[in-house]
Amino acid sequence: MDAHPLVGDLSVDASARLIRHYRYVEERMMRMMGGWIALTPELPAKLLLGRHVWDCAQHADLWGRRLPELRTAAQQSEPANEAVVRFMDTLEGEEGYTETPERLAGIYRVLKPHLVSAYEDHRARANPVFEPPTRRILDRCLDEERRHAAAGQIVLGALTRDADPRRCAEAWEKRLQQALREAGGITGGSALVVSGGLSHPRACDDIIALGRVLARPELPAELAQALDRHRRAVQAGDLASVAGQVLETAWEAVQTQYRGLPVPLTASEVVAVAKIGAYRMVKLAFKGPRGLAVVQQQWRQVENAWRLYGAEVVRTEPAP
Amino acid sequence: MDRPIAYDKLAREDRFVRMRAREVASLKVEQGLPPFPDLTSRPSMRERVHGILVGELQAMEGAGRTVYDFPEAPWEFTMDMARQVWDESRHVEIYLGLLDHLDGYVGEFPETTILWRCACAEDAAARVAGVNRGLEGLACDVFNQLIHIAGKIGDPIIEKSVDYVLADEITHVRMGSKWLNKLTEGDPERRRRAIEFQESIDDRFNLGGVRQDGQHEQVQISIAKDARRLAGFTDEEIERLIKSTQRSPVY
Repeated sequence: MDAHPLVGDLSVDASARLIRHYRYVEERMMRMMGGWIALTPELPAKLLLGRHVWDCAQHADLWGRRLPELRTAAQQSEPANEAVVRFMDTLEGEEGYTETPERLAGIYRVLKPHLVSAYEDHRARANPVFEPPTRRILDRCLDEERRHAAAGQIVLGALTRDADPRRCAEAWEKRLQQALREAGGITGGSALVVSGGLSHPRACDDIIALGRVLARPELPAELAQALDRHRRAVQAGDLASVAGQVLETAWEAVQTQYRGLPVPLTASEVVAVAKIGAYRMVKLAFKGPRGLAVVQQQWRQVENAWRLYGAEVVRTEPAP
Repeated sequence: MDRPIAYDKLAREDRFVRMRAREVASLKVEQGLPPFPDLTSRPSMRERVHGILVGELQAMEGAGRTVYDFPEAPWEFTMDMARQVWDESRHVEIYLGLLDHLDGYVGEFPETTILWRCACAEDAAARVAGVNRGLEGLACDVFNQLIHIAGKIGDPIIEKSVDYVLADEITHVRMGSKWLNKLTEGDPERRRRAIEFQESIDDRFNLGGVRQDGQHEQVQISIAKDARRLAGFTDEEIERLIKSTQRSPVY
């Protein structure tokens, strides 16, 4: 026998409580994504977060405006329990330069897929006769959260082609899943935790600058040769050859900077070339078993030879 | 996460070269080049577009920080700032496209971070006054002129796309004016400090006489009086800005 169309699973109070839990999560997620944009170096990840902050703000706003219609105060957030707060605190914790994969895994492989599952569960239980206002918000949030998760996983995939970042992201994902399980999900009442694997036909709309090939930096042939000689000499510790390329008055300062390189060095590459008129600002990345150092340099052409006018170590990372 | 973060935490891929504006300007002057790229040739336009691209990036990052840094601010304020994050992300996409259109590449010119530093003010009212009124006001000037020049040289790609960016910037200035008033309601001292901060930014971005009141073809950055009026600047404020351009220090 079919259930009566007015059979409902959730009371007004229970529905309002769930909505406050959703609002807590959407708002905190939106704020942390906004805060991370400046801390995230990779352009596609930075722009992805930029795209999604506004959607999440609107989700929080829609939930907050629904609340007075359910006899409670507008725009109120409430975590389901202390463990949910701990989960969100943990999620927010990865803010380092090299921790973009962890940040994306936390949002796009753990929290958003879980939100989708929580919203789906609520939608299945929300009565279609007396809860259409909630169902409409759920429909919108579901569509957008699925799209976000799908887009995020594409960007994450591109950033974790190497084994090290992939391992870190996977370990972080497991830790967060455990924290979410301990909380009983974002609503506190469900053991259901879904991770990854979402797709959406418009996921690509949110992806910018991923694999985008703008024109490559053009290096004058003589500068390219000078840089090759320079990189090889620095890697080999051949100071006499390095000194031969450096402006005499800059040599002492350059030497001081180069003492900070993580020797032994096993590889190096040109990672940036910027123009200031005829001068070139170049960044070289030197790598070795102890880590990586990026050196920013100023090169000028003097009497047909490219000379180094200054160098500064601008970034170092220990080996993973 | 810290609230706010230190200036030097601004994260960039290695392909970006970051330098002090003062140093870039001095290296240009040393070569007999103007310190700020004009719009008279394709390469100089490319340099200007690259500068705007990194400015839009920093604007997105600044608005994102504002969303995070002020959880106690009114919810509508957060909503406006979150909207601005989305707008700026589209602007970055547009300027990436324009850089491509002009055969440039990301990282082709150094990035300076004066804009980002302005976005790090600790008070929300100062931040919206400085960023939304000071910097976005400057954006109105720069984009208005870029649209005009693009129309003149027959480049509809630049003309049309930047026109949409300008429309957004006018909205952001309006947001700034609204929140400067609301956040400082009943607190004249806070309002005074916020406006002072905005004026210090206006002074800095007059760029030693680069921004002026004048015809698009005759000055390097012309003050967009109509766009500024649309954005809610009063005639008195515009007049004060014009006067301040006559006494700005170089960098």
